[in-house]
Amino acid sequence: MHDDVWPTEWLRATLPLCVLAVVADEETYGYAIAQRLQAAGFGAVKGGTLYPVLNRLEQDGLVTSSWREGAGGPGRKFFTVTPRGTASLAERAAAWHTFTERAAGLLPTVRSSR
Amino acid sequence: MTTSTDSYRRDLVLALRMGNVPPDRIGEIVAEVESHVADTGESPVEAFGPPREYAAGFARPRRAGDVVSLLVLTGFGAACGWLLATGVVGTVRGETFLGFPAWTALVLGALLWIPPLLASVRRNASIRDPRTGGFLAPPPAAVVLTMSGFLALLTLGLWVGTVLAG
Repeated sequence: MHDDVWPTEWLRATLPLCVLAVVADEETYGYAIAQRLQAAGFGAVKGGTLYPVLNRLEQDGLVTSSWREGAGGPGRKFFTVTPRGTASLAERAAAWHTFTERAAGLLPTVRSSR
Repeated sequence: MTTSTDSYRRDLVLALRMGNVPPDRIGEIVAEVESHVADTGESPVEAFGPPREYAAGFARPRRAGDVVSLLVLTGFGAACGWLLATGVVGTVRGETFLGFPAWTALVLGALLWIPPLLASVRRNASIRDPRTGGFLAPPPAAVVLTMSGFLALLTLGLWVGTVLAG
């Protein structure tokens, strides 16, 4: 398997948390988030996958958004984490680490490909 | 803006409207697509998939009130068509409509076209681009022109048909 191609259901499960983490790191916009995810080894995340996740985070009150004028284009939608988003990220990240440690405890040990 | 983005916008707005997505959400979704592909250089279909499939993820169930108003407007449209046909046939053949000159049916039919026309203008006008505040759907003038033009053509067609049929 190629390093950056993960099973879709893994991506679906982790993407909201990871997108929240990227936005919590700094206020940013869609394309920059996709680039950050790719650089982190997530593979190419298409707009059609990314924006519904961002919309959902906004709906849940974890991020807010605002349109700003871009340098060359008509504007970009910037996303900012809310205090609730920061709290949720800390809580869910801790739970995620526990969860993956438990899963790893069950799995046979192999040498990582990375 | 390329033609492919233009037609994607049109199809996406239509699909979102069919999916009962509120106007302000439609504006946001369309602007997100356009802003994203402006950054990546992809085509909208490459980045977001076919408009209808992308829109399906945002669809909401229609409430009873929406269904009723849709039915009422469809009823107005149907009555309008019937009155126009009756008016044209009556005028050509010199018959009366409920004791009045047949052209009164034409006028009545045209009046019944106004509620659907206003509803369409209002619905389109509320779909705005959050980046510019501009219209994302056809602006009021275009809606009025298209819908009046449709009515005029329909009347003309009925007229020609009736005359030819003798």
